[in-house]
Amino acid sequence: MIAQLLLTAFLALVLVYAWLEHRTVPIIGPLASSAAIAGLYFVWVPEHATTLAAFVGIGRGSDLIVYTWVVISLLIMLNLHLKLRLQLDMITRLARAVAIDRAKESRREAGQPRKRRPVMLGRKAEAPPIELQAKK
Amino acid sequence: MTGRIRNPWIVVAAYNEAPMVGSVVSGIRRAGYTVVVVDDGSSDRTGDVALLAGAVVVRHPVNLGQGAALQTGIDYALKRRADALVTFDADGQHSPLAIAALLAAIEQPGIDFALGSRFLTGATANLPVSRRILLSAALWFTRASTGLPVTDTHNGLRAMTARGARAISLRQNRMAHASEILHQIAQSGLRFVEVPVNIEYSAYSLAKGQRITDALAILIDLFARRLYR
Repeated sequence: MIAQLLLTAFLALVLVYAWLEHRTVPIIGPLASSAAIAGLYFVWVPEHATTLAAFVGIGRGSDLIVYTWVVISLLIMLNLHLKLRLQLDMITRLARAVAIDRAKESRREAGQPRKRRPVMLGRKAEAPPIELQAKK
Repeated sequence: MTGRIRNPWIVVAAYNEAPMVGSVVSGIRRAGYTVVVVDDGSSDRTGDVALLAGAVVVRHPVNLGQGAALQTGIDYALKRRADALVTFDADGQHSPLAIAALLAAIEQPGIDFALGSRFLTGATANLPVSRRILLSAALWFTRASTGLPVTDTHNGLRAMTARGARAISLRQNRMAHASEILHQIAQSGLRFVEVPVNIEYSAYSLAKGQRITDALAILIDLFARRLYR
């Protein structure tokens, strides 16, 4: 009974996760939901799990539940992989905007006339001309 | 320029192409075109060499892939009011002479894309057998998935009008962008023609080119892209 309650809680979390994810990764929602609902059904009606397991050649119903859990884990991994790709899309857009802005900026700088050095009024020459030195 | 194209831009995506990009840019500039090189986060002096050769250089702060670099170049050229764009490889296997033929093709009314083809009547030099088999498989896949009757795929030489360029938005950062462009052309309903082009394979370009293992990565990228928004 304790195991059934724990599995039910975990599978309910998977259902919530599937609901939250279906907007960004549409394929994950129905697949994870189906796997979680099938898991819940087999947790509470284990004799059907055993019958189905025997039918598909797995043997024991508990093994079928473990396999269902493995499928859910793989789906979550797939979801993480797709989310990483989504993040890469965003990084690409950001890097592109930065690259184009920098190119525009350097073009603007190249188009501007060079600033002349300001004339230092009233400042003595640091070294006197050579001819003057020679006269001394 | 004659006809309706007044401001064509050549877009070159380059990653660690310092040994070759200078001569590629010089060739394009000698042919009379404006060229933007997108330095895709190179660790060598690709951007500086391209700049010295006369290109406008846009630098990605990190390496993103050829597809991402091409889209950056397209975006930049459109911002500079390009009315036609030609994508061109940085590894020296394309001839600047092909640019005029591609642009002439999109000068025709109603044509928005001109796709270079190695297999129409062009005499592509030094194409290895393994590369030919790989391209045949890619061609079969592209025809089956897009329905476009193309004779070549994954050819980096292509021209597009500004309208065509705005109709496509590459989200495949890596090599799968070549298939993605064809998918998007098919979806846009815009018309295309194929133009025979000659590709000169050299030891340098073959070392840089795609391998059999890349085909699997391209398939995975194309499949994964369909799974999320």
